Amino acid sequence: MLSQLSNGMLRSMGIFALTLIFSLPLGLLISFGRMSKNSLLRTITKIYISVMRGTPLMLQLLVVYFGPYYLFGMKIGGSYRFTAIIIGFSLNYAAYFAEIYRAGIESMPVGQYEAAQVLGYGKIQCFFRIIFPQVIKRILPSVTNEVITLVKDTSLSFSLAYAEMFTIAKQIAASQTTFMPFVVAAVFYYVFNLVVAVVMEQIEKRLNYYQ
Amino acid sequence: MRKNWMAGAIAAAVAVSMTMGTVSMADERTTFTVGFDAEYPPYGYMDDDGEYTGFDLELAQAVCDLEGWELIKTPIDWDSKDLELESGSIDCIWSGFTINGREDDYTWSYPYVDNSQVIVVAEDSGITCLDDLAGKIVGVQAASAALELLSEDGDQADLAATFGTLQEFADYNTAFVELQAGSIDAVAMDIGVAQYQIKEKEGYIILDEELNSEQYGVGFRLDDEELRDTVNEALLALVEDGTVAELAEKYELSDMVCLGEGILEEAETETEAVTE
Amino acid sequence: MKLLEMSHIRKQFDNLEVLHDISFSVSEGEILSIIGPSGSGKSTLLRCATMLEQIDGGEISYLGERTAWVEADGKRVYPKGEQAKRVHACFGLVFQNFNLFPHFSVMKNITDAPITIQKRPKEEVYEEARELLRKMGLSDKEDAYPCQLSGGQCQRVAIARALALNPKILFFDEPTSALDPELTGEVLKVIKSLAETHITMVIVTHEMSFARDISDRVIFMDKGVVALEGSPDEVFDADHARIREFLGKFGR
Repeated sequence: MLSQLSNGMLRSMGIFALTLIFSLPLGLLISFGRMSKNSLLRTITKIYISVMRGTPLMLQLLVVYFGPYYLFGMKIGGSYRFTAIIIGFSLNYAAYFAEIYRAGIESMPVGQYEAAQVLGYGKIQCFFRIIFPQVIKRILPSVTNEVITLVKDTSLSFSLAYAEMFTIAKQIAASQTTFMPFVVAAVFYYVFNLVVAVVMEQIEKRLNYYQ
Repeated sequence: MRKNWMAGAIAAAVAVSMTMGTVSMADERTTFTVGFDAEYPPYGYMDDDGEYTGFDLELAQAVCDLEGWELIKTPIDWDSKDLELESGSIDCIWSGFTINGREDDYTWSYPYVDNSQVIVVAEDSGITCLDDLAGKIVGVQAASAALELLSEDGDQADLAATFGTLQEFADYNTAFVELQAGSIDAVAMDIGVAQYQIKEKEGYIILDEELNSEQYGVGFRLDDEELRDTVNEALLALVEDGTVAELAEKYELSDMVCLGEGILEEAETETEAVTE
Repeated sequence: MKLLEMSHIRKQFDNLEVLHDISFSVSEGEILSIIGPSGSGKSTLLRCATMLEQIDGGEISYLGERTAWVEADGKRVYPKGEQAKRVHACFGLVFQNFNLFPHFSVMKNITDAPITIQKRPKEEVYEEARELLRKMGLSDKEDAYPCQLSGGQCQRVAIARALALNPKILFFDEPTSALDPELTGEVLKVIKSLAETHITMVIVTHEMSFARDISDRVIFMDKGVVALEGSPDEVFDADHARIREFLGKFGR
């Protein structure tokens, strides 16, 4: 049982890591759209964020997986199940991250932009050298919250029957007619999150060299 | 009424979806993708080594061996089984799948198991017949055949009306845990699953009165008769060479397996046999 | 040669005109102080000169080259790309609130722009930065972060940061207004020492005796116009009602 759950754990971690890799940069792009001067782009991203945050993630996963067939008649199956999970999670989490980025960016004092402008920094240089590093420090606590939620949300993959830890726990529980797999799974999730929390705390500490 | 909220939600989300394209079937089939509920022992479940197995999956494997296909075992969420099948992500639903009441929704293989829907209660509960269930809380799996029987348009709607509550669960295991915990009084389920459960756990009995009797079959897409015919032929061959009987014994289902009964003789009129 | 010429500058915020047709120029090596009551438009004028605000009328020339102006149809023309870089390299600005980058060390605050923007060799920039810090009396603060410094020290770092880009003209926007009174002295002393190097400076300030002492020329602004302009003595001793009233508030 442990080895099967460990396998499931690795798959959960895979979903976790890939989701972060895709959703963190995507969220930044969406936050740019949300703060854009172009009102069309602003409206589109606003609707996107609203839909992603306003509908259940489980339903979004089903739409991403089954959508291509129902909308375009494309044949799905095979490895698309995992791809759909990563796409679904990334799109959903990007929406949450976008709002966190936006809050962080909008909280930056205008003086930082002005100082950079007068010193000759271009807009992109200014953002990535001056603004963004400070934004990261400001938003880290909110990001930690989301990341911890993500660890637990990976279990929603069971709705596409992807064999991550929770799905496997359910299956073992059914075949052995015991509750034990759920207890073990809970411990696994908890330890995973403990590690995540410690890592995030370390990052926060590292950024504590300035105020 | 099948309370398949997820499918409903999807249908709403993709309202355009009513134009169901025909899924083209590859002429040279090399794989056979079976969708199953991995929480449905003894038909499909995860064994101690973490491999998916069960009576249905071993039977499917035997069919594949015969036809030279590669079997792809795809566990599915039971609520999404129709989506999985429609979208072509699986070739069939082979998972202790009750034919009765769904005759027109799928292209069915020969029935291979005579099943009945039964009620499981604790030995010391004092419940001995269906009438004793009046006012009790009865658990059932969502989107299952037992639920269909007990729902408003079902054959046992009158019985269900006497229940205190009909409580739906995502899977049988959860329902059984609740039964053990005493939060529900009875669980309505397939007899095969019920036997598996009470073998593992002491102190539970199956009521002698059955809710109904029914048959299991393999469900294919409506337009997929060609594949169904191929699988049917293979199944008959497996009855003849004794594979089916062997598997039935292994999973203690010998009393229930009905594949080949009467069919070998009337192979010419097979379509009627399927729907009866 | 005139380093900076601003002619007929107009600026309005939400239909409220805060600068009415202002013209002035700055010659090489000159030290110009701009004084005046709060809300008279001094800071806005400086922000227009440094292009933090866009003008609504008039034109700005640096080094005799027309760099920003407003056309007859009201269209603003501002430098872009390479030209913008060249114009920005002409001037430096010291803010009232320092606006140091809190995540950079003192050294990096000073060296980042010369290295990443001007692409100058690292070694050379660091050497110059150390020399600047020595002049500012901050040699031991190289590795400190802004949050570890006093206001006066921060402002001196900000001055060093502006100087590191070797501007032709340095603007100060009320450089001591955000400081505790006992810390203003150290910053004023540093600015005075810069005056001796003959760098061109435009200083918006409320430090009257400092302005009188250091300036070659003084502009007194009032209600969005240049009310008086001349040598320090001419302005500070002028028999002009508004400036007498203004200076009166400073106890003179």
